[in-house]
Amino acid sequence: MEILKLELKRMLKSKLTLILLVLALLFSILLAYLPVTYCYSNYTDEAGNEVNLTGISSIAYEKKRQAAASGIVTPERVQQAVEDYQDCLNQYGVAESYNLPKGVYEQEILPIAPLLHGVKEAFADSDTGMAPAIMEIDSQQLKDYYSICEGRLVSLMAMEQPDNPAAQRRAAKMYRKVEKPFKVYPGMTSTVMDYQNIMGFLTLMFCVVIASPAFSVDYQSGSDDILRCTKYGRTNLAIAKLVSTLLISGAAFAVCSTLYILTANSLFGWECTKTSIQMMYSIVTLAEINIGELQWLFAAAGMLSVLASVSFTLFISSRCKSTVVSLAAALAFCIAPVVIYMALPGTLSAWICSILPASGTSIQASILYAITDFQFLNFGGFAVWTPYAVVGACIIEIPLFAFLAVRSYCSHTVN
Amino acid sequence: MELQIDHVSKQFKDKKAVNNISLKLTPGVWGLLGANGAGKTTLMRMIAGIMQPTSGNIAYDGVPIKKLGEQYRNIFGYLPQEFGFYQEFIVRDYLEYIAALKGLSGRQSRRRIHELLEQVSLLEVCNKKISRLSGGMKRRVGIAQALLNNPEVLILDEPTGGLDPGERVRFRNLLSEFAQNRIVLISTHIVPDVEYIAACHAMIKDGNLLVVGTTEELVRLAEGKVWSCTVPTGTVQKYEDKLQIVSLRNEDGGRTSIRYLAERPYTADSVSMAPRLEDLYLLLFPQNIGEGSRRHS
Repeated sequence: MEILKLELKRMLKSKLTLILLVLALLFSILLAYLPVTYCYSNYTDEAGNEVNLTGISSIAYEKKRQAAASGIVTPERVQQAVEDYQDCLNQYGVAESYNLPKGVYEQEILPIAPLLHGVKEAFADSDTGMAPAIMEIDSQQLKDYYSICEGRLVSLMAMEQPDNPAAQRRAAKMYRKVEKPFKVYPGMTSTVMDYQNIMGFLTLMFCVVIASPAFSVDYQSGSDDILRCTKYGRTNLAIAKLVSTLLISGAAFAVCSTLYILTANSLFGWECTKTSIQMMYSIVTLAEINIGELQWLFAAAGMLSVLASVSFTLFISSRCKSTVVSLAAALAFCIAPVVIYMALPGTLSAWICSILPASGTSIQASILYAITDFQFLNFGGFAVWTPYAVVGACIIEIPLFAFLAVRSYCSHTVN
Repeated sequence: MELQIDHVSKQFKDKKAVNNISLKLTPGVWGLLGANGAGKTTLMRMIAGIMQPTSGNIAYDGVPIKKLGEQYRNIFGYLPQEFGFYQEFIVRDYLEYIAALKGLSGRQSRRRIHELLEQVSLLEVCNKKISRLSGGMKRRVGIAQALLNNPEVLILDEPTGGLDPGERVRFRNLLSEFAQNRIVLISTHIVPDVEYIAACHAMIKDGNLLVVGTTEELVRLAEGKVWSCTVPTGTVQKYEDKLQIVSLRNEDGGRTSIRYLAERPYTADSVSMAPRLEDLYLLLFPQNIGEGSRRHS
């Protein structure tokens, strides 16, 4: 315990650690604020003047305009919204909302827009996946809106996973379990989640930079010669280094994620977090959660991914005699999911990305996108949804790489 | 209490750094003498357990040190020749950290650290960052950490490097006091550092153990081979080319007194001198003459 206390003290006295932790905190707040700056609204006031709104005032304006759409997304409300949309466009003789005269969209369509989310997708062609225009949808069919959504999921899975009936069955079963009707509370955009992902990735990188010299710096400087000759300088010290690095990384990620979520939700409004995930992403998203739950779930999964990555980094550090090599190798593994996701074909990249420790918080290949996607890992008649695989892999990797790091440090000899 | 080095060898890719060395270290101060690259550091690292021998065995009181593990490290102190510190540490923090690793309790650790800081004259800088200390001070921090747990076996690899003459004397006194009933092995290529405090010496060359014995026994090996004479200063170069000169001293009247090693006297006026350990060292390592070993006064 004394060794752990002193190791924590040592790490927290390091300039590098302190700078990175402060940067992580600042980035969390900055990144939570950035999506606000992208919000933009435009309308014509009663005097005929064009008014442009940005940031918080834009969010407030849109929330006010869409207040009536808030609440439970019953098939009846969706049907009414579609009919209102069609009536409006018919009234002005246009086929698309962007052809409406100036100011009409803001007046007529904007207030019902949240209820229209996913309608086109639900009616997408089962063979081509092409979504129709809202004008082409028979509003009478919307009485059975959620059955149409379930049908859409079946056709989507048949397209996405044509050779994997197990995955198709699994997806259908998951979607049936999702609580319906959905709920929508306008105001927040998916950009907030994208930026939480960026925040997670940056924090992951910072934690990896903090962890990468844990053992290698001792090998490089020669201080290891003294440390490993002491009574507790092997297993105990290795465990103390491991635990302190994991504690600092875990705490940093927890604080940054919490700070991000608190800041973002305070800016966009806490009621927005009650929106069903299907009303922000695909209408047939498989997870039975709302946006608030998605934020915390992503934070928890990200934490596991950070701990797995740090554990893996410590293992790398215990194998490298130079801090530059250990840092380079650790960072390479951090960005590996991004590269693999872009470079390799679907099935192979899904497998590799699910196994890599950094997958939970990586850019593009993160667990956020896995939750909102429809990828399954298929093996011998079984199908595992990729978010489960990512989390499962991290849970295995944290103790596995921790054990390997301690073992590798203890067996290290000078040559 | 005995540390047995039994037929220990260490083979690197293209070099045998230590070749079949056997040595039995008993309580007292031991000097491990050898030129740079002789294999001293490799041998010490194997004794410290941070490098595995290619063959042979090192045992403490009959039990292999590898098997003793934590028990051996508990009674062991080590100062490597080159070592690093954590940049963020001040002297006291570093010693507290090492003390914890050596299993000292908080109170024990504070008391011992204070004692040692006093002994190595570092009390005044105990709150300074190690990275800001001079080379000699860093060396003394290294000495202090090695002594923290009052080790029964203390291995010091070139401990006096970077110390000024006053510090060297203080270090020798500290070690003489400390070495009672303990095994202390000091490696160096600076013979005067161990000549007066080490009771026994082992000299190694190219990884091979050449001689082992007490100072008296070893000095005897150089008897009749150390000479002194006075020559005109202008002719010193001629003598330097032909003789193994240990030291030179300028005398009055344009003459220089030389101390040299030879089987027979080179000049008629040469007189036989009482040998010192350094003479034997230079006899065994003739290439070291002129590499800073020769004293000129």
